[in-house]
Amino acid sequence: MKAERKRFLLAGVAAIVACMQFTACSGGTPSSGSTSSASSDGSSAATESTAAESSSAAEESTAGAMTHEEIIRSAAAEGMVGNWGLGNEYEIQALLTKYGLPTDYITQDFTMDQFDSDSVKLASAMTYNELGLVVNSYDGGYGYGDTVSTIDMNDEGVAMLEDNLFTSKAFAEANPNTVKAFVSASMKGWAYACEHPDEAAQIVFEAGSSVSADHQAYMASEVAKLVTTDMNGNSVSAADVGNMDEAAMQQTLDLAKQYIILEDSAAKDKLASLTLDDIRSTDYLSYDPATDGAPEKTSVSVQLKWLPQAQFMGYYVAAAKGYYDEVGLTVDIISGGGDISETTAVYNGTVDFGVTWVSNLINANAGGMELLEVAQVYQRSGLVLVYKNDNYTK
Amino acid sequence: MKTKKWLGILSSVGLPLLFGVVIFVLWQTQVLHSWLGTDTITLPLPTRISEIISQNKDSIGSQVKMTLIVALGGLAAGSVMGYLIAVVASIFRKWGAGGLTIVSAFNAIPIVALAPVINNWTRDVSNDVSVRSTLAKIIVVTISCTAAMSVNAFRGLTELKPFSEDLMTSYAAPKIVVFTKLRLPNSLPYVFTALRVSVPASVIGALVTEYFAEDTVGVGRQIRENIVKGQYPTAWAYIATACAIGIGMYIILMLVERMVLKRRRA
Repeated sequence: MKAERKRFLLAGVAAIVACMQFTACSGGTPSSGSTSSASSDGSSAATESTAAESSSAAEESTAGAMTHEEIIRSAAAEGMVGNWGLGNEYEIQALLTKYGLPTDYITQDFTMDQFDSDSVKLASAMTYNELGLVVNSYDGGYGYGDTVSTIDMNDEGVAMLEDNLFTSKAFAEANPNTVKAFVSASMKGWAYACEHPDEAAQIVFEAGSSVSADHQAYMASEVAKLVTTDMNGNSVSAADVGNMDEAAMQQTLDLAKQYIILEDSAAKDKLASLTLDDIRSTDYLSYDPATDGAPEKTSVSVQLKWLPQAQFMGYYVAAAKGYYDEVGLTVDIISGGGDISETTAVYNGTVDFGVTWVSNLINANAGGMELLEVAQVYQRSGLVLVYKNDNYTK
Repeated sequence: MKTKKWLGILSSVGLPLLFGVVIFVLWQTQVLHSWLGTDTITLPLPTRISEIISQNKDSIGSQVKMTLIVALGGLAAGSVMGYLIAVVASIFRKWGAGGLTIVSAFNAIPIVALAPVINNWTRDVSNDVSVRSTLAKIIVVTISCTAAMSVNAFRGLTELKPFSEDLMTSYAAPKIVVFTKLRLPNSLPYVFTALRVSVPASVIGALVTEYFAEDTVGVGRQIRENIVKGQYPTAWAYIATACAIGIGMYIILMLVERMVLKRRRA
C-alpha cells in the first residue's frame, strides 16, 4: 500500500519537473497565449527583452567602424550571415555574389534571438518589423537603440520589390472590373494609411493584431516610408501608390532569374523565359465605374502574406473607411502566417487576391501557376542586414 | 508442397505489386485527379516526379545523406538509451514500472513542439551551424525513439519463461550471469518489436525536425522549402524520396530480424 503511494508521488513530482523543464524555454515556441512566433515579415514573439546585452560603452565612432564591404566579407568568412530562406533569401545572395562571396547563409527563425545571442552576427531584418524589435525597448523589443547599424539592400543595388497585390490570370480575365475596383479602393486605402500612419496602426491593432500597439505604430510609419519612396530615394505621390516601376520590376526579375535555384528542369526553363508581361499587368490600376462598369463579383477575399499587422495596413484602412463599399465590394481579409502559401491559395481559387513578394510570384509562375501582379504596393525593399557596432569595429 | 510455397510467395509479393501498379495507372491517367478534385500542378504525374528525381540525383542524394545521419543517429542513441533505462528499471523493479510510465509520457510530446525547444537548448554548443543543428535534430529523434525501446525491452527482460528464474536460483547463479544468460537473450525479440516502431518513427522524426532546424538541409526541409515556393513537382520528388527512405529502412530491419531471430522465432 505505502510503496504504491510512494511510487505514484515520485512519478507525479518527476512529471511536473519534466513539464517545467519544457515550458521554461520560451525560445521559438509560443510562451503566452495570444502571441505566436514571429516571421520573416512578421510579428514579435513575447521573448524576454535582453536590453542588458547591449554594451553600455556604445562605440559609435565612425572612425573605428568598418565599411559595409568589410563587414559583409568578415561575416561571410565566419559563416554568420543570416536569412529566413523560404523565398526571402535572394537579395542576400545577390549581395554576397556582388562581393564574390559564396551564397551560404544561416537560417534565422522568426525571432531575433540568434542575433541577440551572437549566433548570427549579420542578421536579416525588415525595417518595419524585426529592426523595430531590435532597436526599440517596448513590449517584445530587444532595446539595442543606436548600438546597431544596418546595410540597406536598396543602397547596395541588389534590392528586389516585395509586397504586391496579385490574382490569377484566369480571375483577372473573367472579372476585370472586380480587379480594377479592388485595386483602386485598396490603393486609396494605402494612400490614406501613408498620410495617417498612427490612425492606420490603430485600425490594424483593433482588427486583431499579433503584436503590441507600440510596435504597430512603429511598423506603420516605416511601411509608409517604403510605400512612398522608390528604390532611388525619390518620393512617390499619393496618386502613384501601387505603380509598377519598369526599371525596379526588371531589376527584380533579373535578380530572380539569377538567384532562384530550381531543381525542376521544366520550371528552370520557364523561369529563364519569363518576361515582365508574364508576371504583371498595368491594366487594372485605374477604375472608372462610369466607363468600365460594375464589378462582376462583389464578394471577394484577399489572403495576406502574414498575420494581421501594419505591413498590410492599406487593406484594413480601406475596409474601415468604407472605400470597398464605395465601389460595391464586400471584402474578406484573410490572415496568413506559418507556412500558409498565399500563391497556392490564389492559384486554387480558395481566395481571389493575395499579397506576396514579387520573387514568390516569379517562383510560382515558374512552377506553372498562372498568377498576375496587379499593383506594386511597396516601392522599395525593406530588407536590411543588421549588425551590432561592437562586433565590427577596427 | 512446392506449389503451395510458390503460391504463398506470389500472394504475399504479387498482390501488393499489383496494387501498386493499379495506383500508378490511376495516377498517371489522372483518374485520381478527378476523384480528388485536384490538378497536375498540386499533384504532379508520377512520370514527372521520377524525371525530377533522376535529373537531380546528386543533390537529392546529399539531402538523403543528411536525413539518414539524423535518423540513424537518433535511432541508435534512442535505442541504446531506451535499453539502458529498461535495464535499470528491471534491476530496481519497484520504481521500474512507474519510471517507464514517465518515459512513455515523453513519447506523447509532439515533435513540432519539441524541435524549437531543443534548438534553443543547443544554441551554444558550437559556432558551426551544421554541427549544432544536426545535434539538435538527433536529440529530438532520440527522444522519440527511447520510449518504444524501453517499454518493450523491459518486458523482454522481466517476462521470462516460467520457472527459468527458479532454475537459475537452483544453480546458485550470480545475478550478472542470470542477466547475461537469461534476460538479455530473452529480450532480443522484444528489441525487434520495438525497432519495428522506432525505425519509421525515427524517419518521421528526422523529417519533421528538419522543418524547424537552423540548417536548410535534409529531405523534410526541402519538402517545406519547395511547397512554400510553389514548386510542387520538386516537393513531391522529395516526398517520394522520404517514402523510399522509410520503406527501405523498414525492409533492412525485416531482413536483419530474420537473420538474427532465425533460431529463436517460435
